[in-house]
Amino acid sequence: MASQRDERDSPRAGRSRRSGLTAIAGAALRPAVGTLRLGGRAAARAVDGVALASADLVLSSRVAGEVVDRLADSPLFERAVSRALAGPLVEAVSRDIVRYAVLERVAETLLEGDALDSVLDRVDAADVPRRVVDRLLADGIVEQTTARVLEGPELERAVETALESAAAERLVGRVIESKLLDEAVRRLLESEELWVLVEEIAQSPAVTEAITQQSMGFADQVAGGVRAGSRRADVWLERAARRALRRSAREEIPDEPATRRVTPP
Amino acid sequence: MADRRPAATRAGGRAQVVATRVHGEAAQPRVEYQGLVTRGIAFVIDAALVNLVAVAVAASAALIVSALSLPDSLDTVLIAAGSWLFLLWSAAYFVTCWSSTGQTPGNRVMRIRVVRAEDGAVLRPWRSVLRLVGLMLAALPLFLGFLPILLNERRRGLQDALAGSVVVGAPESGRRS
Repeated sequence: MASQRDERDSPRAGRSRRSGLTAIAGAALRPAVGTLRLGGRAAARAVDGVALASADLVLSSRVAGEVVDRLADSPLFERAVSRALAGPLVEAVSRDIVRYAVLERVAETLLEGDALDSVLDRVDAADVPRRVVDRLLADGIVEQTTARVLEGPELERAVETALESAAAERLVGRVIESKLLDEAVRRLLESEELWVLVEEIAQSPAVTEAITQQSMGFADQVAGGVRAGSRRADVWLERAARRALRRSAREEIPDEPATRRVTPP
Repeated sequence: MADRRPAATRAGGRAQVVATRVHGEAAQPRVEYQGLVTRGIAFVIDAALVNLVAVAVAASAALIVSALSLPDSLDTVLIAAGSWLFLLWSAAYFVTCWSSTGQTPGNRVMRIRVVRAEDGAVLRPWRSVLRLVGLMLAALPLFLGFLPILLNERRRGLQDALAGSVVVGAPESGRRS
């Protein structure tokens, strides 16, 4: 009765007494709990080992291969694959591939290792490049590509860009200043074929015709100058003669029947 | 009296008449009589051409004659024959040119033409001969025969007065394409 009264009288003292009991119980049970944990871990490890051993056993068995083959041949597998491809899985995988830079990492790994070299060696050994080229040539891809390039504006743009670039100017300057050009010109002038070519060009009808036209044009020009000068001299001489003989200036005869037809019939 | 001209000529004449009625008289090119300097230059060109041919022929003939062993007395005969040939060649040159197209090569260069004064047609051969004679006559009295060209309204010299000709400007002939 006295203790109950004490508890009622002092709740703080009761709480401290309870916590002390809990600590004592915990300390007493700790070895048991540790033993149980150790046992649990050992059991889990044993279960894992058994599971792995079972999986190895299953995978190494001939039945597993048969099961996989049958599964792969089954309509169920086809449906599953079709479903997967039709669904959002492909997009999700693609996004993840991009997000985690899978391709870059794979390419990096390939480039760092010898795998790429070995692949290229095998491709070369299998004569793949020649077969690809043969196939492209046989299919007319080259002709189509060439026609497309020649017809399209890309080639023109590329040439314009190249010609307008400072590098092209430098290159032309270096070529002109180099001894290579002098040597080429010297050899060209020494070659017999050049003079044969020049002779052929000089004797070609087109060139002779052009020279004739040019010469006639020049002669016409000279004759025109002489004609204009002689007409002026006519007028001047006539005025001088008339002035000297005190004759009136010459009158223009407007239009006479006798001289209307100036060209012969 | 039946019209004996070809059908094409008659049709062309009728078309000309109709065209004249519709459009009126076609504008005639203004006649430009040519003066002394222009004609002189044309004559110089002709003289150079005539003499060039004559010299070439004479040189060839002299080469041939030199290869032959001819007597010296024959030289005078050859020179006389050559002189006559030269005169003949010169006369033929001018007479043929004036009577065929009205233009010598020199005239062609200077774009002038010798035509009949009365109708503008080319000269007949006898008129061309007369003109050539007149040309020589004009030159004889210290070229005084050419003086009327400076004073005449139609710029006619003695040779033109004798042959009834005038010298006019010729339109430019068609060029080759």
